[in-house]
Amino acid sequence: MQLSPDDTVIFTILGIGINATIANTWVIMAVLAGVSALITRNLRPDVPPSRWRTALEVIVNAIVGQIAEITNRRDPRILYFVGTLFLFILAANLLTVVPGFHTPTASLSTTVALALAVLAAVPLFGIASRGLGGYLRTYVEPSVVMLPFNVIGEFSRGVSLAVRLYGNIMSGAVIAAILLGIAPFFFPVVMDMLGLLTGVIQAYIFAVLATVYISSATATPPANESGTEKETS
Amino acid sequence: MSIDWITVGAQIVNFLVLVWLLKRFLYRPILDGIDAREAEIAQRMREAARIRAAADGRQAEYEQQIAALERMRADALDAAQREGETQRKAMLEDARKRLRQEADERAAHRAETARAFAADLQRAGGEALLSLTGKALRDLAGETLESRIVERALAQLPDRGRELAMASERGRTALALTRDPLPAQTQERLRVALSEVLPDARLDFRTDPARPLGLGLQLGGVQVDWTIESYLDDLAGRLDELAAATAKMGVSDAA
Repeated sequence: MQLSPDDTVIFTILGIGINATIANTWVIMAVLAGVSALITRNLRPDVPPSRWRTALEVIVNAIVGQIAEITNRRDPRILYFVGTLFLFILAANLLTVVPGFHTPTASLSTTVALALAVLAAVPLFGIASRGLGGYLRTYVEPSVVMLPFNVIGEFSRGVSLAVRLYGNIMSGAVIAAILLGIAPFFFPVVMDMLGLLTGVIQAYIFAVLATVYISSATATPPANESGTEKETS
Repeated sequence: MSIDWITVGAQIVNFLVLVWLLKRFLYRPILDGIDAREAEIAQRMREAARIRAAADGRQAEYEQQIAALERMRADALDAAQREGETQRKAMLEDARKRLRQEADERAAHRAETARAFAADLQRAGGEALLSLTGKALRDLAGETLESRIVERALAQLPDRGRELAMASERGRTALALTRDPLPAQTQERLRVALSEVLPDARLDFRTDPARPLGLGLQLGGVQVDWTIESYLDDLAGRLDELAAATAKMGVSDAA
């Protein structure tokens, strides 16, 4: 039994094996980008909004509102990053109900990649907001003694993000697969429904935590911010 | 539970590509569309505010015009009322004047009627008085009364001397006419009295039962009477003079 879609090679390009994680990620990317492009292709102020466009506006506005509620500001760069995180994880988790589709978020490589992206984005947003000196100063606050703890805490964020998402999604998929072998008519359906709920919640949690980390790195004043991380699991 | 670092790298790249794709096809169009719609709504709201301000201005202008018209109407109404009041007063004054004039005319007419009635009454009274007096005198007439009349004529004869003197130039014989014969003493006194006035005249006596009671003296075509009729004529003349004086007084009172 393969626990990770990384082990499933779908096809090979130039001698490089493309596993199910990457291939399914491309599928998700194609779906998200294709649907978005399809809906927003004729988007003009003089054209009345369609239902699909209204649905997209609702989703984007909800993300913008959630980010503004956490960060107390409207920064489109945070929207691009966190919104993409949320939509990608949400789409990936919802697609677990498709038979034969190995969701990329069940791969530790994907969650690690997303965690590394967050881990890299936090200092980048912090530096962009406060400047390099201002951001590095947050590591020695409230005193220099806290420097190693802050560094460890910064990396532990990424690890916890990656493992939390991976564990929830992979365990759900594995449990569903096991129950499918034991009792194929009832429990898998329940587990799939539970997996959908869990997947939506995990996408929300991952995006909110990323927003909180970015907000803590960009918030002013820098003091009193390092210890206010919202931990949700 | 293993990590394929190539897959990790590929997923990072994929994620960054997805960020770009969604930014290009989702976030930008949606946010731009929302911004454009908000801008359009804001533009429409500004336009609505501008139209509202213009409408408020027009409303204020119309309200001012309405107020001006109301003032003009009130002024015109006041002027019409004043003019009507003036005309009413003038008409009332004219009516009062006509009423006074008519009242004066009626008063004058009443005064004229009263005066005419008074004159008629006075005339009738005078005539009745004259008639009664004449009848009484005629009923009471006798020798004594005629002698009294002759006595009165004797007293007045000197006053008529000039008239008789002028008449004597045409005749020297005077004739005394009475209804009844005068006593001889009276005749003698009359002859003496005439001779004092006309020393050359001769006096004759004649009676005429048809004559009125009294004395008539004829001389040279002139006759002077002292009869009851002459008294009554004198009374009638005086009554006429009194009636004329009364009418004149009534006319002056009415004026």
